Amino acid sequence: MADPAFSRAGPGRRLRPELFVGQADASPQAAADWSRRRILLTDLRAVRGRAYPRITGLFREKSWLFFEILLPFLTTSAFVFVYRALQAPPEYIGFVVLGGAMTAFWLNVVWMMAAQLYWEKDQGNLELYFAAPMNLMSVLLGMALGGMVMSSTRAVAVLVVASLLYGVSFEVDQWLLLLAVFGLTLAALYGLGMILASLFLMWGREAWHTTQLMVEPVYFVSGLNFPVARLGFIGALAVATIPLAVGLDAMRQLAFAGSQVSLLPPLAEAGILVAMTVLFTLAARWSLRTLERRARIEGRLTMRWQ
Amino acid sequence: MSDPTTPPPVPAGFAPLRIPGWEDFDPARARGGGLRGHWRGFTTAVRIGWATEANWTDPLLFFIYSVAKPVSAALILVVMLEVIGGATSRQYRSFVVVGSALWAMVFSGIAGLAWSILEDRERYRMIKYVYVSPADFLVVMTGRAVARVAVGAMGTIITLAVGVVLLGVPFDPFRVDWPLLAVVTVLGMVAIVSVGIVLGAVVMQTRQEAWQYPEAVAGALFLVSGAVFPLAVLPFAAQVVGLLTPLAWWIEGSRRALLPDSVSSIGGEGSAWLDLTGTVAPSTPEIVVALLVTGAAGTLAAGLAFRSSERRAKDRGLLDQTTGS
Repeated sequence: MADPAFSRAGPGRRLRPELFVGQADASPQAAADWSRRRILLTDLRAVRGRAYPRITGLFREKSWLFFEILLPFLTTSAFVFVYRALQAPPEYIGFVVLGGAMTAFWLNVVWMMAAQLYWEKDQGNLELYFAAPMNLMSVLLGMALGGMVMSSTRAVAVLVVASLLYGVSFEVDQWLLLLAVFGLTLAALYGLGMILASLFLMWGREAWHTTQLMVEPVYFVSGLNFPVARLGFIGALAVATIPLAVGLDAMRQLAFAGSQVSLLPPLAEAGILVAMTVLFTLAARWSLRTLERRARIEGRLTMRWQ
Repeated sequence: MSDPTTPPPVPAGFAPLRIPGWEDFDPARARGGGLRGHWRGFTTAVRIGWATEANWTDPLLFFIYSVAKPVSAALILVVMLEVIGGATSRQYRSFVVVGSALWAMVFSGIAGLAWSILEDRERYRMIKYVYVSPADFLVVMTGRAVARVAVGAMGTIITLAVGVVLLGVPFDPFRVDWPLLAVVTVLGMVAIVSVGIVLGAVVMQTRQEAWQYPEAVAGALFLVSGAVFPLAVLPFAAQVVGLLTPLAWWIEGSRRALLPDSVSSIGGEGSAWLDLTGTVAPSTPEIVVALLVTGAAGTLAAGLAFRSSERRAKDRGLLDQTTGS
């Protein structure tokens, strides 16, 4: 049977949002009986709705151009100058620039994925998310997509400006693999962000401090400014568990062909990223359900500022 | 001419105007308490800041939170030195450990006031009540920032201890110039809080990603402060910017006090300091005077910026506008 939410009237197949609201049904059961298509479309609308403020926000308050692009570029520059002071080989400057660009995504995952549901709870939006007829994973996916767009602007700016200014020369032999590894790194990173977001549902004020704990310590074990292989066992552990570490190691090998210090070949690291993406997404789905249930039982969903 | 503070005489046959129930009200209480009132507001804000920051969690957990960031930041730099190896990296190990340890305090101070404003406006939604209280708004917010500097100081001390015990930073308490350390620490704290006040003025006006601004500003200042590399490796113009920043002089003074044999972050071969003054490195009195002058200028500018931002925020209704940022 045709879904009443759609109409063939007019040019092409058109969504009729008015049919999602206040439609007359024979019974509450009938009202709750949604077709698969309708569920999917509602979830997609939720994804779009949650990604929208992050993307639109880029054009609303322009001060982010200064704070999000120029200043992080200066931070990256500080590490470039450390290597310059040490008269390090030129590829190390490239390592720092690549690491500096990737921090944009990690910071976004920590601040605007992991901690986001905690902020939403503080602001009183979380109840609305739970009450809305949609899968909460759609909200997380929307946050992730919006966050990727936001962070990409900063990452690209840091990468381009720093590369030009500090004369970084990339030697890429396998463009496709490099792009695939980059995409997989983002997928795994935001998958991890979704898991962390569900964990943050349970946390109170320590959430703020946990975000702090996930910045410098993660930069250190991920080898943000140096080859992670130099950390030995800690580096190997990071490559096995943190997408930033494995993604950076693979991208460095691919962007600076001939770079000697790495833990595994790029293809093997791409495999780890695929496994991480699948595992993190499934784990996020499970943990969101489990922790939501537990948070409901313990009354933590509406408890603010504790 | 009559004294404007003297109440007008009450005409014969009329009783003086009184508000029922306010017979015991002392009008002096509404006029502000001068320095004593400021001090009371400041100490109360410090206590509130400390309570908000620290007293809600397990002490061990709080300790981990407070030291993990600065210790990791120092370790990143130490591994960078080890990766390159050679005599230069050994020479710089103490330099970077002390610099990055001090930076923990800078970050806390810069972020402290800005985050206090954002928390009070966006999360706890108390800023309007703080604003209309008899205490001076700037004084209260500075008190909140000082509490965070104290937490940062803990990270600095632990990082230095880790540096001495595990990373081979030489430390001889008999060679430390304690008077110099005391003077530059006091002046440095004032300078750090001033930068925090400027950032507080900025976040009063901004939304969106304002939470991340302190990190971004601290990162930018990191470049020109000589915290982890000598300014001489920077272009001349950037070095001059660094020389105008009190943080560069504070770090130089603290490093001079703690490690008398350390490389200067301000002077040295190819430095703007050498070009401008003809001397290899600044002397200790020059460091103190430069810190005093740049710190005083920074404090004045911070006060003006904050007052101006406060007025604009009030005019535009930003103080009680929760933005969900």
